[in-house]
Amino acid sequence: MTPAEEVDYVLNDCFFAVGQAVGTAKSLDFDAIQWWRGRYRAFFLHAMTANGNSWSRDRHRVTAVGRFLGQRALHYAGDQPSIDVRCASLASRDVEAGCRMNAEREGVEPERLPAR
Amino acid sequence: MKSQEPPDDIHPASGAEFDALLADYVRDLERQVEYIVDDCFFTVGQVVGMRTTVDYDAVIWWRDHYRAKFLSAMETFGNRWAQDRANVTSVAIMLAERAVRYAEGKPSIDRDAARKAAADVERYCELHARRAARAMGVTLSDDAPARIAGYWCNFEYPDPQTGG
Repeated sequence: MTPAEEVDYVLNDCFFAVGQAVGTAKSLDFDAIQWWRGRYRAFFLHAMTANGNSWSRDRHRVTAVGRFLGQRALHYAGDQPSIDVRCASLASRDVEAGCRMNAEREGVEPERLPAR
Repeated sequence: MKSQEPPDDIHPASGAEFDALLADYVRDLERQVEYIVDDCFFTVGQVVGMRTTVDYDAVIWWRDHYRAKFLSAMETFGNRWAQDRANVTSVAIMLAERAVRYAEGKPSIDRDAARKAAADVERYCELHARRAARAMGVTLSDDAPARIAGYWCNFEYPDPQTGG
């Protein structure tokens, strides 16, 4: 599969992981799905094409990050019945900040950060 | 009753224009179906929770299988996601529970468990569709319930009396 073909499977895999962490107590607004897909499809595709990341190698780590994304979104949703775009974007900010810190610790140059 | 005449400002498209419009329409459905598949994967993940995980082969199988079904339903009925979302995610809950059950004794939901769970859910949906059709007195061709089953299992049949 080319990265352009594989990226949609990867996103489905990640949405599954996010759902695992969110559990059944809250739903996810359709707008938030669209927001996450738009953001991470671009990031993942860049990682797979420009940086040569491979899903088979990275899957375990990246789905763990997906579960962390779900946990943060759940946190930001607080008493709300569902996770909206605001919660999704705040969760993404946390996760991406964590990824940047982790990459810096591992000595990865910022411009070559694996986006996913 | 409303007139069946087309409005004055709509002109018949030429063959090429029609093909272009159709291609745009299909491209738009192909974009929309991705959100719907994501939504279902999210729901299946919610229900599976931390009880187990899923193999990538199973993700591939589910996506290929349901994306095609969704797209086929959308090409036939249009994008009914706003109306169908609650029904469809209910079916996704059933899919997840069946998959967890078939994965018992295994380290994760593998392709075989995913396939068996999908078969169970589709059997249920097909029966549901046939029952709904019978209750409304609609006669269906043999393949019609299968075509609309799966995620669109709660498709409402036209009323045989009014056609609406």
